Amino acid sequence: MARIEVEERETGEQNKDLFMIALKTTIPVFLGYIPPGMAFGFLLDGAGYHWIYAFLMSLFIYAGSGQFLAVALLAAGAGLTEVVVATLLLNLRHSFYGLSMLEKFSDVGKVKSYLIFALTDETYALLTTTEVPPGSSKSRFYFYIAALDHLYWIVGSVLGAVLGSVLDLNLEGMSFVLTALFVVLTIEQYFNSNVRFPFIAAVGAGILSLMFFRPENMLLASIVIGTLILIAREKFVKENLHVKQDIQ
Amino acid sequence: MTDTLQILVTIAAVSLATFATRVLPFMCFGSREPPLMLLTIEKNLPPMILLLLVIYCLKDVQWLAVPYGIPELFSIGIVAGLHFWKRNAMLSIFIGTLLYMALVQFNLFSFL
Repeated sequence: MARIEVEERETGEQNKDLFMIALKTTIPVFLGYIPPGMAFGFLLDGAGYHWIYAFLMSLFIYAGSGQFLAVALLAAGAGLTEVVVATLLLNLRHSFYGLSMLEKFSDVGKVKSYLIFALTDETYALLTTTEVPPGSSKSRFYFYIAALDHLYWIVGSVLGAVLGSVLDLNLEGMSFVLTALFVVLTIEQYFNSNVRFPFIAAVGAGILSLMFFRPENMLLASIVIGTLILIAREKFVKENLHVKQDIQ
Repeated sequence: MTDTLQILVTIAAVSLATFATRVLPFMCFGSREPPLMLLTIEKNLPPMILLLLVIYCLKDVQWLAVPYGIPELFSIGIVAGLHFWKRNAMLSIFIGTLLYMALVQFNLFSFL
């Protein structure tokens, strides 16, 4: 067999293996997206919309809370301006995700636009924590993860919209799978990095936000507060270094 | 405007707004070298945001009413403990979720 054909065969095998790893990595997201995806589908169906709109929204918007908000506002007859402003405010936390992916995404080539588009809470969590299998393409791996998560969401919402209120499975509590995923990833971050202060900042910012902000604003508020705490500490540490140098 | 057109326009607007929030940092810092402060933040942000996401998942918990968030805290504790012990993501997530679903569906904390 010609050398090129052998190499192509090998690359094909490697890509398949890489895909399987990505598939395994995204299983928690699969389990975590199907229930809310279906809930969104049920909601949209209940509001009288054809299931094709569930497909379109999940394909082009791909934002859980953003889509729920959109349906709620549509049903309430809100104007376009209101919908846009509400969406911008609700999804502002995604800007912070991009902020910490600047370096990771700097060399991913042509999938960069899609990866930015597909940056949801869960995909962000996976991309920041999962290690690319050694020797394989980072951009391909990231793409598989992001695309699979996207696919699960689309499947969930279409399933929900099509099934409508027909099914009555007791999936109560299954959304906890996302909480569990975030806990596991946090612990992995703890083992993989040497910084400890961010966890403290998170506890402080999180509790403050839980106490003083409405649930729907809580995540963005906690991220803003947490980031301010991080910046304040950076400045504080730098000033301490200067003082030490002056004394010497 | 017809219903179909209205929803299509809404979908387009919401898609663009959502994408705008995601692409914003890449547009601000895309071509230039980001300031050093930003790189430090970049290193510190993921662990902080992940823990914030855990806390975020607790946003609808009624701390002052039965069962006072105990199923959630208990399940999170089990997931964390299991993970520190075995470092096996599938195991920790699977067991923790099943446990939580059982606690919630069988009302095991209703004696409180």
